[in-house]
Amino acid sequence: MTVTQIHERVPAPALVPVRVVDNDVHPVPKNGQFLDHIPEPYRSRYFMRQRFGETITYDAPDYDEAKAMRMDAFPADGGFPGSDPEMAFQHVIMEAGCDIAILEPGSPEDIRPEIATARAIATNNWLDAQWLSGQGNWHGRWRGSICVAIEDPEGSAREIERWAGHPYMGQILLHAEPRPSWGHPKYDPVWAAATRHDITVACHLGRGAFDNHPRPPVGWPSYNHDFMVTYSLLAANQVMSLIFDGVFERFPTLRIVLVEHAFNWILPLMWRMDAIYAARGGDVPHVKRKPSEYVYDHIFFSTQPLDYPEDKLELTRSLELMRADKLLLFSSDYPHWTYDDPTWVLKHIPEDMRDAIMFKNGIELYKLPESVPPIEGQRRVF
Amino acid sequence: MTVESQPPRPRLAAGREHVVAKVGEIEPGDHKLVPIGRHGVGVYNVDGTYYAIANYCPHEGGPLCSGRLGGRSVTDERAPGGASLVEDGQYIYCPWHQWGFELASGTTAVKPEWTIRTYPVRVENDEVIVTA
Amino acid sequence: MPVSRSREAAGRAHSEEETDQVSDPAEDVSTPVIDSSVHVFFRSNADFRDHLREPFRSRGIPDYEMQYYGAPDGEYSPLAGTRDGEHPGSDPDLVGEELFEERGVDIAVLHPMTRGNLPDRHLNSAVYAAHNQMLAERWLDSGTYAERYRGTVRVNVEDVDGALKEIERWHDHPRMVQLGVPLQTRDLYGHPRYEPIWKAACETGMPVAVHVEVGSGVDMAPTPSGHARTYPQYFGFMALNYLYHLMNMIAEGVFEKYDGLKVVWADGGADLVTPFIWRMDTFGRPHLEQTPWAPRIPSDYLPGHVSFVHNSIDGPPDPGIAAEWLAMTGKEDMVMYGSSYPHWHMGGADTLPGGLTARQREKVLWRNAAQLYGIDVAAPVA
Ligand code: FES
Repeated sequence: MTVTQIHERVPAPALVPVRVVDNDVHPVPKNGQFLDHIPEPYRSRYFMRQRFGETITYDAPDYDEAKAMRMDAFPADGGFPGSDPEMAFQHVIMEAGCDIAILEPGSPEDIRPEIATARAIATNNWLDAQWLSGQGNWHGRWRGSICVAIEDPEGSAREIERWAGHPYMGQILLHAEPRPSWGHPKYDPVWAAATRHDITVACHLGRGAFDNHPRPPVGWPSYNHDFMVTYSLLAANQVMSLIFDGVFERFPTLRIVLVEHAFNWILPLMWRMDAIYAARGGDVPHVKRKPSEYVYDHIFFSTQPLDYPEDKLELTRSLELMRADKLLLFSSDYPHWTYDDPTWVLKHIPEDMRDAIMFKNGIELYKLPESVPPIEGQRRVF
Repeated sequence: MTVESQPPRPRLAAGREHVVAKVGEIEPGDHKLVPIGRHGVGVYNVDGTYYAIANYCPHEGGPLCSGRLGGRSVTDERAPGGASLVEDGQYIYCPWHQWGFELASGTTAVKPEWTIRTYPVRVENDEVIVTA
Repeated sequence: MPVSRSREAAGRAHSEEETDQVSDPAEDVSTPVIDSSVHVFFRSNADFRDHLREPFRSRGIPDYEMQYYGAPDGEYSPLAGTRDGEHPGSDPDLVGEELFEERGVDIAVLHPMTRGNLPDRHLNSAVYAAHNQMLAERWLDSGTYAERYRGTVRVNVEDVDGALKEIERWHDHPRMVQLGVPLQTRDLYGHPRYEPIWKAACETGMPVAVHVEVGSGVDMAPTPSGHARTYPQYFGFMALNYLYHLMNMIAEGVFEKYDGLKVVWADGGADLVTPFIWRMDTFGRPHLEQTPWAPRIPSDYLPGHVSFVHNSIDGPPDPGIAAEWLAMTGKEDMVMYGSSYPHWHMGGADTLPGGLTARQREKVLWRNAAQLYGIDVAAPVA
């Protein structure tokens, strides 16, 4: 798993079909790469004056050493996992066998929306310079995310306008935590910009600080264990808000991908929403269809984290019942410690759903090519 | 991390005795990754006792031997925080998802019915020999 | 989809869609029926204040219905009988007639609704005590149906000493069968400050039912994203807050330490325990190192510790999968029929999902509750 392999830098001419699209890979800036990209006056007024160290709450096992990362993903230069495009290329594309990967940098929210937008602008500029448009993407396998700060809807819309049409920006990325939930009309400018350019919106968890954490109404979890497991309730609530507040009626072409929120809960949640709608549809006259129909038409989920019961047949059954080929797309979460390997994920997916989940849904959502120039020595997952 | 080596190649045939190191070459608390089998074998020195395990995690196939050695935490009412670490250095924690495996037995607390492959190790005339 | 998913149909009515496996409990001669959640109230504020002592009687106390989130068109089903000017669910004879004569219920477990999580714990304990007193004298000790009622002792988790005194006061009462605590809390139920209550519950052999506290108290907004703009979102999410408590109790080792503790999630939502416990197990394995006080795999802590009251919106809509789904994660041993009478979503046994096996129906309608509460109802001779 070390990065010693010598690769051919000139792709061969013939094309190979895309078989794995990974919709969740996390790049981070190398030291010194970020600051220059932050727009003024925020760079000097805020970012250069605010220093803080480690802010972890809810730590993964062996955090002080592993930093919630795959430990074999720390580059030899002392940098952080995900800071070296070449190492990520080796791990994700060459060794794991993902053909195209969507990069999802973290761009934390802020109590001042304009600061969060300044950070998002810098993140996008940096990602483009280091990973998408330059030598970092010599192989053309990376796609980026237009990071936006949804707590600043107007700023988000401007940022979407700035990047729409970029050949390597695959999606819009926002965080799940800002309040209120997404059915609130204040977010409409974001959905409007996304649908104007027909770009898929992904939502990743971003944690937060103080009460910007996904704070449960009934008390704080104690450990990373119960915290991360119940994190999915945040996404479940966003789904109910999007549907019952009528967002998909206002934006009929909006597509949302919930990344790393787990997905098995959507099956019983669809039943729940449909039953509530049958009983209380009169409370939400702007909702015209069964909630589960909106889910199938508008919402997708990443496979990671793939949770499974003791009896794996129950997972298979659950995938069948939820018609997972209509809902899921593969993701690895590299280089985080919760990484899921595509070869391992594949083993859990019923055969007739494989193509849809491993690559077809991704190609469609992100308008990706169906084939790419081969790279010698790349693993083929199936 | 410890005496991490290059990817295991060339591969040696499995199922026989391999002289993997000289006594003293692997310090207590260290390990050496040797090219046995498809993924290599990690040979560990735990306080003078040698253990050998496959460099392949049964969970999702992570490179087990590039993980950290650790112990097992237990409740300890007298200790501040209510927990203590015991048997430090006797478990290897996978670098991917941090499942811990006991070197001596290959078992894991997190899924008792699963074990990793372990190999007999003996010391003879200053040499560490693994049967694999 | 089985019946009674609409307010019109809730309760007695039958729908033509009903499958032949689902029968009216009144005609279902083979299975005794225990209604594990009937909500009871004072008749009026004057009636309530008559049961309060000074210095509490003259205090300001909110009504039973909460701010913002009352169900549009009314919190209570029009099918629940009332006498003029009296609160639904306040007359033991009326309720008894409906449950026992018309709906074929054999035994009903009563759960007093109170007046919100009041910030003054002294006042709140007095409010609880008044409700317990009313429950005992009016429902359990006198009246036509006293023998068929069982009671819930409401205890104040913000006043642990007061709660212990209240348990002491009532636990010998032959018809008080469980303790009742609110779903909305300041700390999750894994927090050690609640342990004396769990200990008392184990010592008295009483399960602890957790139910949404009605009334306007000092609660947080009901979702991790703050307030919900629509009633369906509120109703869809609110009950799911139990998952925060349950996962925290598991990780904190509550069930390890209090092996006899039995918790009833009284607002339903059992369907969601399946994906969440899969996640808890999968994600949890490495975290067991952080929580040596809970050494077993999380799902091991469900059987014998966790029960649910069925909610009329629960269960899959497709009768073809209901039996299989209820068997997953052992839910068939956890779910107990309960009407939530007189709330708008109240329903008869016909709100159980269609397609359960006869044995599962027997467990849900009768055996699970009979075992949990030690209720001895013999199966009628056919
Ligand atoms: S691959 Fe080793 S713990 Fe998952």
